[in-house]
Amino acid sequence: MKPIGIWGWVATAILFVLLLLAPQLAPRLHLALTICTDVLLFAIAAMAVNLLLGYTGVLPFGNAAFFGLGAYGAGLSIQNFHVGFITSLVIGTLAGVVGAVLIGPFLLRRRGIYFALLMIAFGQVFYFIAYRFTNITGGEDGMNFTRPPLEGLGIHLQDAGFYYAILLIFTLVVVGFWLLVRSPFGRTLVAIKQNEVRARYLGLNTDRFIFVALMISAAIEGLAGACYGLSIMFAYPLLLDWHQSGDIVLMTILGGAGTIFGPLVGAIIYVIGEDILSTALPWWQIPLGALFVACVLGFPKGLLGTALDLLPGRKNRIEPGHDLDFAAPIIADRETTR
Amino acid sequence: MSDLLLEAKGVGKRFGGVHAVEDVSLRVYAGSINAIIGPNGAGKTTFFNTLSGFYFPDAGSVSFTGADVTRAPSYDRVRMGMGRTFQTSSVFPELTVYENLAVGIESADNLSFRFRTLSRAQRATLDQKVDRLLGFVGLGAVAHRPLAELAHGSQRLCEIAMSLSTEPKLVLLDEPMAGLAQAETSRVVSVIRNLHAELGLTVLFVEHNMRVVLSLAQQITVLDRGRVLATGTPTEISANAEVREAYIGKEVIEHV
Repeated sequence: MKPIGIWGWVATAILFVLLLLAPQLAPRLHLALTICTDVLLFAIAAMAVNLLLGYTGVLPFGNAAFFGLGAYGAGLSIQNFHVGFITSLVIGTLAGVVGAVLIGPFLLRRRGIYFALLMIAFGQVFYFIAYRFTNITGGEDGMNFTRPPLEGLGIHLQDAGFYYAILLIFTLVVVGFWLLVRSPFGRTLVAIKQNEVRARYLGLNTDRFIFVALMISAAIEGLAGACYGLSIMFAYPLLLDWHQSGDIVLMTILGGAGTIFGPLVGAIIYVIGEDILSTALPWWQIPLGALFVACVLGFPKGLLGTALDLLPGRKNRIEPGHDLDFAAPIIADRETTR
Repeated sequence: MSDLLLEAKGVGKRFGGVHAVEDVSLRVYAGSINAIIGPNGAGKTTFFNTLSGFYFPDAGSVSFTGADVTRAPSYDRVRMGMGRTFQTSSVFPELTVYENLAVGIESADNLSFRFRTLSRAQRATLDQKVDRLLGFVGLGAVAHRPLAELAHGSQRLCEIAMSLSTEPKLVLLDEPMAGLAQAETSRVVSVIRNLHAELGLTVLFVEHNMRVVLSLAQQITVLDRGRVLATGTPTEISANAEVREAYIGKEVIEHV
């Protein structure tokens, strides 16, 4: 993968200093700290989407199924088993993985737009389950739960404490993601994205790689959903809905699929933009929609991807994830006669 | 006679009502260079695709290194020692030459499922293997350029190197000269010759360019309208009246 260079490290360091200072900076910018927490949560969710969209070349248009499963996993385990903070996050993460293991084998039968449609359909199945099984999930009204104390210490994380917990999780996900995309596995995913047939003719059973990528993505997404559940102390069916999936895909593309920090940039613009615009304008979705259209048409590498290209010496770098293969062909060596 | 490496028996493939390939048999012995020729629409590429697992045949069987692979997925055949290239170069366009080769080498070394960066020793081994492949096809100077920036001939050479990255016994080349300039053609010809001479690999290729076929191949199979018209050495094929009259054209052969 690309070398990030000294300026990349400097920019990353500045970014993390700003994130560390957010509880002090946010009030001066008239931002609620919960908005900063939301930015990090959705940045984690968008990184999950990024792994599939930007690095593997499949379209996770039903990703909120894993996000919602994470929120419900955390909420139900807190409500029914009174688990602690970390345990609820682990259960939420596992709930996402279980979702991926259930639907993965079906999704893997298709590629391109058909994968996306199948995933939306399966996501809606989870939505309707949450909607219908009222006695477990609270149905349309959702379910309230309390944020449990941290295991061992008995500390209730609130406000800045909760923000820093989420920042720690975000940092761990970023580091893990960075290591993953630089590993042979990450390189293999990018190869599959660019030319799946060639990858198979290098002896790679591409289905297995995409399945593992899907599970990793679902784990990250489930973790993000569990964090979100703990943040708002609430889980409701719309978290599983395809609108929610669309929002997270939008953040990923806006920031730049195929870049490490693109999802964070997208989440900052989307979450803060929504917060500012929705109080000022009743039709706040329109400017965000216009920005998204401009992004896809004008700079499909996203804001960060385009900015990185403008840096000196980077002009000719071709990065994975700049083209969105919405109509990627169904791979040919899977014969109909099988 | 040396070992039988690849054998197709009575292979047939239909697309809708069209018999693209019908009752085609072929034997490839270890250490030989073999060519499949024929006019457009003769079924060369279709037959080739049944050998490499891109399609599964409707009839007949394919065996490789003694095992039946008629319905084996492509990646299993590759792991058994079959490499292939495509008529239009099939590479990872946005990855560098180095990375294109690394994907195949890591696959062969069972490192593709490694979730951490390579260790220093693994990295050194990888670099060494990449260098050897780059040296073989002569692409050392552009190792860190993305494939999309390279000329067509260089992409083709990189694709051949990729097909070698999985350490094959048999290399299948689908029209390796297609769309190449004259200078590039002679470079690819010498690389193919070295696949056999230097690396001792078995080669099977499909080709239109008659001069290339007659100068490279030891064994030639002529396809016409989906069937085998003739099989033999270059001398036998150029002397075969049926082949001459059917379609090759007298002047082509006389000029060689």
